[in-house]
Amino acid sequence: MKVKILRQVTPVSEPYWECFNYEGPMDITVAGLLDHINYNDDIVNDKGESTTRIGWECSCLQGVCGSCAMVINDRPALACETFLGDCKKDEVTIRPLRKFPVIHDLIIDRSSIHENLKKTSVYIGELMQGEDRDHEHQYTAAKCLKCGLCLEVCPNYKNGSTFYGAAFANDCYLVYARNKNKAEDIRRVYGERFGRGCSKSLSCMDVCPMKIPTIASISKLNRG
Amino acid sequence: MMRNVLVIGSGISGMSCALRLAGQGLFVTLVSPFPSERSQSVMAAGGINAVLEDNDEGDTVQSHVEDTLKGGAYLAGEEEVRGLCEHGGEILKYLESIGTVFSLDNDRKLSKRAFGGQSHKRTYYCGASTGKQIVSSLVMEVRHFEAEGRIIRRLWNCFHSALIKDGVCYGALLYDETSGGLEACYADAVVMATGGQNALFGKTTGSTQCDGYTQGMLFTQGVKLKNLEFIQYHPTTMETGQKKMLISEAARGEGGRLFYVEDGRRVYFMEDKYGEKGNLMTRDLVSREIWMTKKQVMLDVSFLGEELIRRRIPEIMELCAKYGGIDITAEPIPVTPSVHFFMGGFAVGIDHETNIRNLFAVGECASIYHGANRLGGNSLLAAMHGGFTAADEICGRMGGGGHPDLDGYIKDQKEILEKKGKTESRFPVAYIRDLLAETMQKDLGIVRDEKSLDNGIADVDYYLETAEKIQYDNSVMPYFNYSLIGILTLARAVLTCAKSRRESRGAHYRADYPKTNEELAHATLISYDDGAYNTRLEV
Repeated sequence: MKVKILRQVTPVSEPYWECFNYEGPMDITVAGLLDHINYNDDIVNDKGESTTRIGWECSCLQGVCGSCAMVINDRPALACETFLGDCKKDEVTIRPLRKFPVIHDLIIDRSSIHENLKKTSVYIGELMQGEDRDHEHQYTAAKCLKCGLCLEVCPNYKNGSTFYGAAFANDCYLVYARNKNKAEDIRRVYGERFGRGCSKSLSCMDVCPMKIPTIASISKLNRG
Repeated sequence: MMRNVLVIGSGISGMSCALRLAGQGLFVTLVSPFPSERSQSVMAAGGINAVLEDNDEGDTVQSHVEDTLKGGAYLAGEEEVRGLCEHGGEILKYLESIGTVFSLDNDRKLSKRAFGGQSHKRTYYCGASTGKQIVSSLVMEVRHFEAEGRIIRRLWNCFHSALIKDGVCYGALLYDETSGGLEACYADAVVMATGGQNALFGKTTGSTQCDGYTQGMLFTQGVKLKNLEFIQYHPTTMETGQKKMLISEAARGEGGRLFYVEDGRRVYFMEDKYGEKGNLMTRDLVSREIWMTKKQVMLDVSFLGEELIRRRIPEIMELCAKYGGIDITAEPIPVTPSVHFFMGGFAVGIDHETNIRNLFAVGECASIYHGANRLGGNSLLAAMHGGFTAADEICGRMGGGGHPDLDGYIKDQKEILEKKGKTESRFPVAYIRDLLAETMQKDLGIVRDEKSLDNGIADVDYYLETAEKIQYDNSVMPYFNYSLIGILTLARAVLTCAKSRRESRGAHYRADYPKTNEELAHATLISYDDGAYNTRLEV
């Protein structure tokens, strides 16, 4: 199998493609593949040239931390839960998420997700719950990994823009559901930073590793 | 009063400490290479222990104290454990108040489940993603204080070393991955919240980010470590090519049964030997029993029915389907014990201070509550309680006395890193870390003996000698290079502690000393004195 990776040494250097040959079992994930390449004593690319280890981020390796979000065969996904056998191609193409600045190779800076939530005061403050009708949705929404996959696939989201995307909407919903005194303020900021800009392609739900039904957060916030 | 505190690590214990400090008016710098969502805390699945007003009939805080002490083979201090257990109710209330989405019963009360080694049901939970739900609510609360400027997060920053002089800590040197250099951060107090030591064993159930470097490095700077020989092997993990995936104790808490097949029939070996509660004995014991079967052990939950499985342990169902191709509603899960938790770490007092003044440790990197074996559900409780306790101690202290001249140390460390950073060794750091993991898995398994420990020590001494000679491997982040010696040093200390305890107790089982020796019912302390690893019992 041919493995094609978009690499970049530093945040300011030019990206470049590098290819590797992989001959091994297909029942491993892309995370396992990256480990396999990196843990050889000498790393060589498909031209037989010596090269450097591939930078990528991981922590849990079981789909609950969101570290290893990347674009695999044009689909945004977590490397640790994307199996080579499911790639349906003789080649796997891996690149960093495009909506965030690259730090090194596949490592990206997703701090804008947190910055956007911080500057719009998306926090509960004092718990003042209304009638708790949506316990299950709150549970699911709180599982958001802040991995950025929903933003990568979103046709409306650009880094630095005033539209903050699905990760923002779901956290807004959590505040809305758990502090009724803050509900109107949160709905306002949600409207400004999400509601007005969302074209409802809902591609965010297709790629969410936690299967968060963002449409439910949207409808609850829109309905008020 | 103290004003500025540096908290290293942003998982549950780091965030709880930062929040309590900020809530009392202090300014906190919360340091981690990655955001809290990437911390190992999100992987804690099963639940958090507490005795609340709606307790299981007959349950009391005293029972929780006794279970914890007994589960830990009586090595933890009673006063410390009492503080932990008494705090459970307040901690649960706090977590609810900041919006943690706990699972509820039909009558809308918090649900609780049975966990191993406990006399009553007292483990409150959020499905099988309790850690993740707690992290999500803490992150939101930290954001509140970030917006007010009381907590500042420093991402892409790694701990390098502490600024220590004459037994007092004045801050830390941090490596900033964005600028590529070391920066001195002075503070009135420093709190370590850096988790366990997974990297010593390669791939465990935990996060690849928890590598034990801070423990190893601070050990060489004079900080005492404790009980390193007690390493919890979780009885039920599923082997995959990627890692050992934890099958949460919640599976057995909900009724899951362990068995192996002999002559075509199922042998429920834990129930046969220990009776009705056999599957929920303490983790050290279940792991050892599984190891002793020398057979493929299976965990069956299928008889619970799909509805209950989907409602109570959906994450376990998804995990097994995704990584093992197993439908747990219809078939059993092949399980094997794997390294999961480290009872040992920084030796801290009841206020969570180390032997270095103004240097604290909380969460898994600190050794205080779990003795020789930790009960499920007590780690999340200890992470929250430790963070709060350290914060309260810091808030009551005088501070602001300035700091001595540490410029010489800082300049030296910067020069060393810069000089080494210019070297181009092709000798990969990953290779030595792999060798270390192989050694530790082989020589420090569920069952150890003097010979295997001596072999391990000889191997690690060789890796240390090699690591001191090699240049930096420029194909990885500088942190991987400078952390190597600290990680190896910690491994050497762990093996030394395991060798020094000539008995079997809790998670430490010596084939050559299989009995418990009551004269040794004390914690092991280890210190680094001019290159020597000295152990003694904390009598």
